[in-house]
Amino acid sequence: MSRRVYLDHNASTPVHPEVLAEMLPYFGEVFGNPSSVHGFGREARDAVDASRDRVAGFLGARPDEIVFTSGGTESDNFGVKGLAWAAGRGHVITSKIEHHAVLRTCQALEAQGFAVTYLPVDGYGMIDPDDVRRAVRPDTIAISLMHANSEVGTIQPARAIGVIAREHGVPFHVDAVQTFGKIEIDVDAFNIDLLSFSGHKIYGPKGVAGLYVRKGTRMVSVQHGGEHERRRRAGTENVPGIVGLGKAVEIRRRDMKEEATRLTALRDRLWDGVRARVPDVRLNGHPTERVPGTANIAYKHVESESIVLGLDLKGIAVSAGSACTAGSVEPSYVLVAMGVPIEWAMGAVRSSLGRSTTAEDIDYVIESVEPIVRKLRAAMPVGAA
Amino acid sequence: MRYSARLLEHFLHPRNAGLMRDPDGTGEDEFEGCGDLARIFIRVREGRAVEVRFQSYGCGPTIAAASAASELIGGRVVEELVSLKADEVERALDGLPDDRKHAAEVVAGAVRAAALDALRRRAA
Repeated sequence: MSRRVYLDHNASTPVHPEVLAEMLPYFGEVFGNPSSVHGFGREARDAVDASRDRVAGFLGARPDEIVFTSGGTESDNFGVKGLAWAAGRGHVITSKIEHHAVLRTCQALEAQGFAVTYLPVDGYGMIDPDDVRRAVRPDTIAISLMHANSEVGTIQPARAIGVIAREHGVPFHVDAVQTFGKIEIDVDAFNIDLLSFSGHKIYGPKGVAGLYVRKGTRMVSVQHGGEHERRRRAGTENVPGIVGLGKAVEIRRRDMKEEATRLTALRDRLWDGVRARVPDVRLNGHPTERVPGTANIAYKHVESESIVLGLDLKGIAVSAGSACTAGSVEPSYVLVAMGVPIEWAMGAVRSSLGRSTTAEDIDYVIESVEPIVRKLRAAMPVGAA
Repeated sequence: MRYSARLLEHFLHPRNAGLMRDPDGTGEDEFEGCGDLARIFIRVREGRAVEVRFQSYGCGPTIAAASAASELIGGRVVEELVSLKADEVERALDGLPDDRKHAAEVVAGAVRAAALDALRRRAA
């Protein structure tokens, strides 16, 4: 295998060298516990606070509104359960295409007696703000919607939904794990009360993330212990991770716009190249309102895992829209919610581009995928699937 | 890589893929709940499967298993193929991960069905 092309940045990204350099001292020289009052502790505390300032500035928030967590899943659990448990009972609005971190949290809340509305999406994977308006009830205690879906990249009308949430006085949680550092987001302009974000999607380390919590939002903690994070999230802070997240955010602030333009062009080059060479393909997701680097392409009548395997053997990393494990096939629930027909949903392959992606990489992928799909289709019974 | 070199080789270069005109036996099997499907065609001369073709839909291992089986059963006595076991197909791939055993099962099922079809036609 000579060439390696990583097109799975929505799953994870490599740590940026500048991020790594900034983190390294915090594994050795600066090792204190930020809660300690002595000098070692104060050094660590200063680093955590500096990172908090960077993140807050990027979101248009105040530093004391940022709570560091261990990952996007924890942030989502904290956001949704924190709002629900503070209210004690009531109704939550979410959508059918949320990440499992929100979907399964909502299901757990249902088991505890909360009511949940799972909003539908249109064929592009977009939520209709009017559906949100119609779903609001007198006992609605939270609206939790993602900013963009990881599989298809469709960007939700968060600004319009934020207005509705504010009009009804309902706290608005946004899972922005897939958009944070990729497209512009401002918590005040969008009327967002809580926002989940993560480090490893933006060239920061794994195991560090955060939740923005607007001051005054009625929340309870979901993890109890010490007085960390202003008593909102117990547990000794992951100092090197938080330092890395702060640096990653600073770099995104610097590079985001330029990279978005470049990745949008490359993503479109991929789709244009594939559809010019391979018959019976379709793009899942919104044609324009989409995260810059994401292209979900479905190959009719081919099983996506076999395309992923074929590309893997050419050194190309993409991800499958369906997963066949232990004899049960799971077409993506996101594509199903979008109404994508099964013969297309089974052959959906997501490519997510990033800072290392070049035009040559994209051309190599286009060249590679055509014979793979042709061979798979040649072995396929007509009318199967 | 979780798959054997032999499996990957079959996946990349499937043998005997495609339709057969006027076969002497055709068999199909589908793995329930998964949608993986294999169809086997055999041409029979003097009681043996002298030519084999396959069509399959599914994950990489299923395609590889169909290709391996098409080589494995070539020249074999049709009566024997009626009881072909999935283990034998799996061995021809140098093994399968636990969550992909169905690849061998669905292909072995299609081979058995094709052999049975050939015997029935001969008897008719």
